[in-house]
Amino acid sequence: MPSSAIPSSWSYNRPEHLISRLRSAGEARIKALRELKNQIIGNRTKKLTYIKLGAVPFVVEILCSAAFDISGDVNTVLVQSCAVLGSFACGVDAGVKAVLEAGAFQHLMLLISHRNEKVVDAAARALRMIYQSKLAPKYDFVHTKNIEFILSLLNRTNENVTGLGASIITQSCRTKMEQRALSDAGALKKLVSLLRGSLSQRDASLESLASLIKDNPVVISKFVGPESGRALSAVTELTKDRYPRTRLLACMCLIVVNSSSPTSLQGAGIKMKLITILLELMDDPGEVGDEAGFALSSFISESEDLQKLAFEANVADKLCDHLQNCLLQIRRYQGILLALAGLSSKLECCRSKIFTHKAFNLMIDALNHERSEIRVAACLCLKSLSRSVQHLSAGHFMTEIIIVPLIQLLCDTSTSVQVAALGAISNIVVDFAMHKSVFIKCGGVKQLVQLSKSMDSTIRVNAVWALRNLLFLVDQTCKEGIFSELTATTLSSLICDPKTSVQEQALGLVRNLVDGPVDSIEYIFLEDRLLLHAIGRRLLSSSNTEVLIQGMYVLCNVASGNEFHKEAVMHQLLMQADPDALSIVVKFLQNNDSQLRIAAVWALVNLTSPSSPGAFGRVVRLRNAGVVQQLKTMVTDPCLDVKLRVRTALVQSMTFDDGVVMV
Amino acid sequence: MPVRVVDTSLPSQASASDADVEHKSPPACTLLGVGQAFSGTQNVSSPQKDEAWRVNVRIQGFDLEHGYLCGTMEALNVPMADTPVVTFWEGEIVDTKNYTFFTNKWKATSEVDIQHWTKFPSFSPLLDQVEVDGGKSLNLSNYPYIFMRWKEQYFVNVGTDCGLTIAGFYYVCFSCTDGSVNGFYYDPNSSPFQKLELQSAQEKDTGFSFSSYALQ
Repeated sequence: MPSSAIPSSWSYNRPEHLISRLRSAGEARIKALRELKNQIIGNRTKKLTYIKLGAVPFVVEILCSAAFDISGDVNTVLVQSCAVLGSFACGVDAGVKAVLEAGAFQHLMLLISHRNEKVVDAAARALRMIYQSKLAPKYDFVHTKNIEFILSLLNRTNENVTGLGASIITQSCRTKMEQRALSDAGALKKLVSLLRGSLSQRDASLESLASLIKDNPVVISKFVGPESGRALSAVTELTKDRYPRTRLLACMCLIVVNSSSPTSLQGAGIKMKLITILLELMDDPGEVGDEAGFALSSFISESEDLQKLAFEANVADKLCDHLQNCLLQIRRYQGILLALAGLSSKLECCRSKIFTHKAFNLMIDALNHERSEIRVAACLCLKSLSRSVQHLSAGHFMTEIIIVPLIQLLCDTSTSVQVAALGAISNIVVDFAMHKSVFIKCGGVKQLVQLSKSMDSTIRVNAVWALRNLLFLVDQTCKEGIFSELTATTLSSLICDPKTSVQEQALGLVRNLVDGPVDSIEYIFLEDRLLLHAIGRRLLSSSNTEVLIQGMYVLCNVASGNEFHKEAVMHQLLMQADPDALSIVVKFLQNNDSQLRIAAVWALVNLTSPSSPGAFGRVVRLRNAGVVQQLKTMVTDPCLDVKLRVRTALVQSMTFDDGVVMV
Repeated sequence: MPVRVVDTSLPSQASASDADVEHKSPPACTLLGVGQAFSGTQNVSSPQKDEAWRVNVRIQGFDLEHGYLCGTMEALNVPMADTPVVTFWEGEIVDTKNYTFFTNKWKATSEVDIQHWTKFPSFSPLLDQVEVDGGKSLNLSNYPYIFMRWKEQYFVNVGTDCGLTIAGFYYVCFSCTDGSVNGFYYDPNSSPFQKLELQSAQEKDTGFSFSSYALQ
């Protein structure tokens, strides 16, 4: 029978054996550390294997004991231990976690003050690896002593030590107070000076500067001002650097400047350059290319002007082309989708370009992707594209190929996917092409109603928003179907929701529900006027203008109905919060918001329409309640729309004066 | 007590303090909001025949900031068409910021523009200034008429081979007071000055109703 022969070298190199050799002393231990380092460098699998076998605590123990050892070649042991720990932490979060859990952080920090420069360098390098990760401990900038320590790191000559100082700022500086404290202590100036340093110092400084100035106009003004020398030009210059990563980081720094201080980047020239540089960087096959999409997205997403520039630079086509070639690279895929979402968020020309590109189908496919971040990005793309009224009018989105996966995402295990899907659905269901029944047939209403009862208020508001848009100009059959799923009870509790944003959307929904044929108004009177009472209570108690506007339009639409409907509205409008208070209609007519005044006046126009039999009685009651008097004070309202409707309401009211018809 | 209702709203020339274009744009008007409908006729008479098509319009999008609106137009009794013909149109609001009274495209010269705009009586007070600068310096913020150009973009329910053309565009004047729309179709290859006359159309004759949507 053949037997397997295990080569001795294999046995010798087995991970377990190598770990046991870490226990040896002297030269053997150093050799074992070196071997371990060589095995794990750049090898994620090996790192994970050794982490699982508990190698990290062994190495930390060696580091710790060597720090107090004065015999032998202790510095070499320290250097090698640091190097091993740095390797474990490099690019693998599980490694960072293991290194931190083994207590290495404090020891490495102490070694920064070691008398041997090589030890300092190795410790700084290891700490930098830790500070590349989001798991790195948050550094406390509150104490002056700690800020002084960071400054001392930045002032050292060792590249890894200055890089460590910069990395700590990059990972830990978050609040405006921290940014201000560091900047005032001289960190800004020092980081700017490091832009003239080595490649590694430049990159670390650019990254750190972006964190230091992000969303902080005060620090940005210092950065672009004369006290920082020519910092802005230095960063701008680095956008042309020969190294792609430096170019990317310089662009990201300028994007941060632009988002809080757009005037600092003078002229369209530099902005156009940033767009073209980021596009070029997307050709980079590595991490730089992956991140370029995210940078482009953050640059253009909020600005119509930048989207115009991007359109001129043919970004839409280029992103679509990239999309077709990156389907297996998750980070890149996500970045490109987000850039496409940003590009098409405001401009119709960008949307049309993307819509006609064959990559559009890839976006729809991405809705079914196994990774949640891709599903979210795909939903954001569809949300941006479906802001196109032109395409909504043509019914381009209301097809099963788009609707079915979107509805499925409403049951996604990830909340962010659900919210993103709701965003896209909210727009798509506006659908002017009268294909709303497709959405209903695919089971969309059931899901939306379910989500409108979610404990998560973000999901709730978005679900109600989608239902509101779905009810916009919907036919009677669909309306009946939606209402029977939704029920008056659910609607009533949504109107009374603790979140005003939910109340606003719920009232907008009821506004659309009662629009259209007179029969639609009956919904509000079902179950002993459940909805009407909920709306009345909301109008009496809410101080949120948007809520009041939607609520008032509900009453206006109800007042467009028959005598019974008009009388019900009269009752609501003349309600008072307490006997000495103004009636709600007078309160709204006096409101500073012209939209609320218009809604209130339209309701009065409907109530006083001379063609309705009960108008005379209502005019008398409105006059007695001081409403007509209030209208008279508004004939010169600064808002033309209000002014014109007030005139109509007054002319209609005067029709009944002494039986004389006024013209 | 009756109140004297006097229309004092005349357009003014923008002064230095009107530098903020926001205040020079026409006002928003609820009767021209999304969801609002209009119905009326378009006169398509030729020397050979008197003819008018019934027309329905629905506003689908309105963005005052960009001087943009859009919607559909449905022609009901079009000869040779089996069904009503629906087109999607996009509109430019003359707001002196995004658009002036001068079209500068669609084969319309400034002379053609003036010829058409002067067909609207409400345009008369604006004529002198428009001849100078297209109306750029006018303050329309309190003027109860909104001037627009509506350009049909595509047929919604019939093919381009339906024998109809959407090559031209409409000069449009909307009255904020009563929601009426008057327009004149311009296409160098069609009968001149085809008149569009629409009234605000409410589903119920008992009052005005307003629906709304909001895009995310």
